[in-house]
Amino acid sequence: MSARNLGTELDLSWISKIQVNQPAVLRRAQQIQARRTVKKEWQAAWLLKAVTFIDLTTLSGDDTSSNVQRLCYKAKYPIREDLLKALNVHDKGITTAAVCVYPARVCDAVKALKAAGCAIPVASVATGFPAGQTHLKTRLEEIRLAVEDGATEIDVVINRALVLTGQWEALYDEIRQFRKACGAAHLKTILATGELGSLTNVYKASMIAMMAGSDFIKTSTGKETVNATFPVAVVMLRAIRDFFWKTGNKIGFKPAGGIRSAKESLAWLSLVKEELGAEWLTPALFRIGASTLLSDIERQIYHHVTGRYAAYHDLPMS
Amino acid sequence: MAATRAQPSTREIFTTLEYGPVPESHACALAWLDTQDRHLGHYVNGKWLKPEHRNSVPCQDPITGENLASCLQAQAEDVAAAVEAARTAWENWSGLPGASRAQHLTRLAKMIQKHQRLLWTLESLVTGRAVREVRDRDIPLAQQLLQYHAVQAYTQEEALAGWEPMGVIGLILPPTFSFLEMMWRICPALAVGCTVVVLVSPASPTPLLLAQLAGELGSFPGILNVISGPVALGPILASQPGVQKVTFCGAVEEGRALRRTLAGQGAELGLALGAESLLVLTETADVDSAIEGVVDAVWSDRSAGGLRLLIQESVWDEVTRRLQERMGRLRVGRGLDGAVDMGARGAASHDLAHHYVREAVCQGAQVFQAGDVPTVSPFFPPTLVFDLPPASPCTQAEVPWPVVVASPFRTAKEALAVANGTPRGGSASVWSERLGLALELGYGLRVGTVWINAHGLGNAEVPTGGCKESGSCWHGGPDGLYEYLRPSGTPARLPCPPENLNYDTFGLAVTPTLPSGPETGPSPAAPYGLFIGGRFQAPGARSSRPVQDLQGTLHSYVAEGGAKDIRGAVEAAHQAAPGWVSQTPGARAALLWALAGALERREPALTSRLERHGVELKAAKVEVELSARRLRAWGARAQAQGHVLQVAEQRGPVLRLREPLGVLAIVCPDEWPLLAFVSLLAAALAHGNTVVLVPSGVCPIPALDICQDMAALLPAGLVNVVTGDRDHLTRCLALHQDVQALWYFGSAQGSQFVEWASAGNLKPVWVNRGRPRAWDQEAQGAGPELGLRAARTKALWLPMGD
Repeated sequence: MSARNLGTELDLSWISKIQVNQPAVLRRAQQIQARRTVKKEWQAAWLLKAVTFIDLTTLSGDDTSSNVQRLCYKAKYPIREDLLKALNVHDKGITTAAVCVYPARVCDAVKALKAAGCAIPVASVATGFPAGQTHLKTRLEEIRLAVEDGATEIDVVINRALVLTGQWEALYDEIRQFRKACGAAHLKTILATGELGSLTNVYKASMIAMMAGSDFIKTSTGKETVNATFPVAVVMLRAIRDFFWKTGNKIGFKPAGGIRSAKESLAWLSLVKEELGAEWLTPALFRIGASTLLSDIERQIYHHVTGRYAAYHDLPMS
Repeated sequence: MAATRAQPSTREIFTTLEYGPVPESHACALAWLDTQDRHLGHYVNGKWLKPEHRNSVPCQDPITGENLASCLQAQAEDVAAAVEAARTAWENWSGLPGASRAQHLTRLAKMIQKHQRLLWTLESLVTGRAVREVRDRDIPLAQQLLQYHAVQAYTQEEALAGWEPMGVIGLILPPTFSFLEMMWRICPALAVGCTVVVLVSPASPTPLLLAQLAGELGSFPGILNVISGPVALGPILASQPGVQKVTFCGAVEEGRALRRTLAGQGAELGLALGAESLLVLTETADVDSAIEGVVDAVWSDRSAGGLRLLIQESVWDEVTRRLQERMGRLRVGRGLDGAVDMGARGAASHDLAHHYVREAVCQGAQVFQAGDVPTVSPFFPPTLVFDLPPASPCTQAEVPWPVVVASPFRTAKEALAVANGTPRGGSASVWSERLGLALELGYGLRVGTVWINAHGLGNAEVPTGGCKESGSCWHGGPDGLYEYLRPSGTPARLPCPPENLNYDTFGLAVTPTLPSGPETGPSPAAPYGLFIGGRFQAPGARSSRPVQDLQGTLHSYVAEGGAKDIRGAVEAAHQAAPGWVSQTPGARAALLWALAGALERREPALTSRLERHGVELKAAKVEVELSARRLRAWGARAQAQGHVLQVAEQRGPVLRLREPLGVLAIVCPDEWPLLAFVSLLAAALAHGNTVVLVPSGVCPIPALDICQDMAALLPAGLVNVVTGDRDHLTRCLALHQDVQALWYFGSAQGSQFVEWASAGNLKPVWVNRGRPRAWDQEAQGAGPELGLRAARTKALWLPMGD
């Protein structure tokens, strides 16, 4: 992954004057989906690229080592080899960007990936995922344990109460501590935007998270009622751009939750390209948290290569 | 462009992640052109009309220059044939119950739905606009327009009682306007029972296709006729018997020329001119969203014009940086490509923009251009012009598409002064998260449409139009309907060739008047002087004109007003305007009622003045009584102004505001010397205008009597009354650039002159063409027509959400 974000001193003037107009952002979000599309070869290439951005995720109560193992295998071989050969990209090393599991499953994932002989990073959610309503001490301990088990990326959830009550210093301090607990592991901060109340809060929380040293900011846990939406993304991407302009640090962006179709994933790619530029379209700076998206992308690739729609049994399950 | 390069492989794109071409197939548009053998005529009375021996012009793909078809140019006979078809159809169509017309419009909406792909590919192909905009915005809006107006037709008998359709409407459209401009205007016209002849510039086939779709509904073939020909056919269209109104959209200078040509002709003229818009970006704005507003306004193929961008100085650097970075991401290409922001508009638009930018640079401006733009000719890159000196000619000129001219402002007050300091009055948007500031600017801008924190929204229910040189013609909403209605019982307009009036000399000189015997007027003597700025003043010419009574004997003298007096009166009215506009409707009503009381107290004197003028005692009493009642009625109506609209695609209201015209000049008729004067005055004041009146020429004394009360009751300058030679005063008022509207009730020649002279500042005028009006009748003397004429609409969009 890219250079770490060391964060900056807390500077509340960066968020004090910000204005986010919700109806205007809604319109922008709507337009972006209509104004850019890709077809044919471009679509296939973009979809393959999207695969490399996926944090292949399983976050269920019934996860066991067997389905985590299967997930890891799919992460290594996301698209059928013959399809990749047909497109002449089989030597591009296309895998998903990471696998993402609960802390208790990190060991399983690390073991499975080691057995498969690949260096795909394991990401773990932490800090009382998904609600974040546990003591700070246990939340920090959770990060340390996950890192000990071999997770190299930690997806933490923020304490929404601090945002809703405007305690920005406290939020900054908490994320700072998360960052410290991560050690060498990358910190992805989940803002749980569906529970922040307003887009202005989304912008402010994004900025605080970046100042505190997050390597990624992530839209949602996938467990809230509102998941990754384009309006929220527009605001977060603008915050990332502002932070880049102020500090020169490129922070990553990860939408998660509810992204299921190949078409949607293309819209997310063009959204990032439009708001931040093509240099953000790398696994170091852009991830998509998803579990079922991959199979739809594989189906589209299948159709592009063969001209036929795939039956369910044509493609291996994840 | 990607298309011209060798096709990259998936492997390469995987690395570059570039955009590729997303061509929209236009095979169906070509197939449709083939059905006409690539030879388009006119569509008249439900049939294609392809007369022989006509010139034809090629219809070209604006990007490749490929000839798509040839289009016949209409001649006078073709225009006459189209008008004749519309006139025949009108007899049937206007007599239908509204419900039947509603049904027909709904069928047309469905027809468009069924053939929408053909419509959008054809429109994008021939205009070069981005297909996304046509497909996702224009086509749905066209259907929405038909549906909205179908509902209006359905409720017409009830909601628009007292109004009747005008008759045959002529619509003139220039080449740069989309077919939507036609839909905005034909829908209300057809809904209320008018029939339409559309004159489109040659080589724009979409209106022809629409006419064909309407014709193929079978019934009522002649209600929509489309002929293609040059704008120069406009006067011929206007002079056809049966044509009641001509609506023109296009460039300001063309509109001005048409206004002059059509002065004194039968048909009424509605103008919708210019396409420039304005965006005010304050320091309290969501800057990134405001920049998307700029993109919506000029670089997304939504509007036909350029943009004037006012940026608060404190955020100038930040805004220009972000704007330039955003411009870099714009994609320009063939309109039929599904992934471009902006297409091309053909050589004429390109040259216009090119010329403007070159001039701006010569005058000292900085230019920034960016975006992914093909370098070949018809494409013009998104352009930002700044540092243009305020006094340079380019600052005054209309900004063409796709240019943005940015200039700074310091305070809200200055923003208003700069924004209102142009002759244009189309649309504007205000960007601020502070509600108070946004509303202050929104109310203060002198334009037809204001969007708060949005730009370029449109809806069938919202009236859209302009003021000042943008013309005073409306489309959409209730105002759009009234454009094609007249009060029931108004006689139809007959084509009359304009009189050979010498505009240079009309009313130029005043015949000198000499003492002509002793005054026989009663005591107390009538007040003498011009009522300007709240007091009686001696006329600048220091001379007087005699007023005779019925027997022809000298009654008294009134002051002889002239150009200087008019200038003073208009100045006084302007000074009084801000105070009067800011009065609440309640306060206006109170003053009108107070004036009514004063008038009643003066009843004996006024009655005897009227009697002296030959009015019977009983009738004179009625006139005075009715005058007082008019003041009270308009006072009461002052309270009910404007309303709130709720539109589909936005949360939050759209306010339909009724704003005063400003300084309104009124030349009162000779008849009904008191009643007509009061009726016109009351309507004007109730709507917040300040007025300069020329009272009845034969009997000006009652008006001057009331001035004595107005001196005591009303703020100085609110009402100014100038007596004198009517033609001369009319001339002065009509040619005055700072008179914002003019009502003229007098001779046919005077009417013609007023229409001709109004082309100067394109002020809205209302003339009677020498026809008397029944001022004592409720409909003609105090009907809704007066209220409609006495104010202009502004639509204020207030999107909400957090």
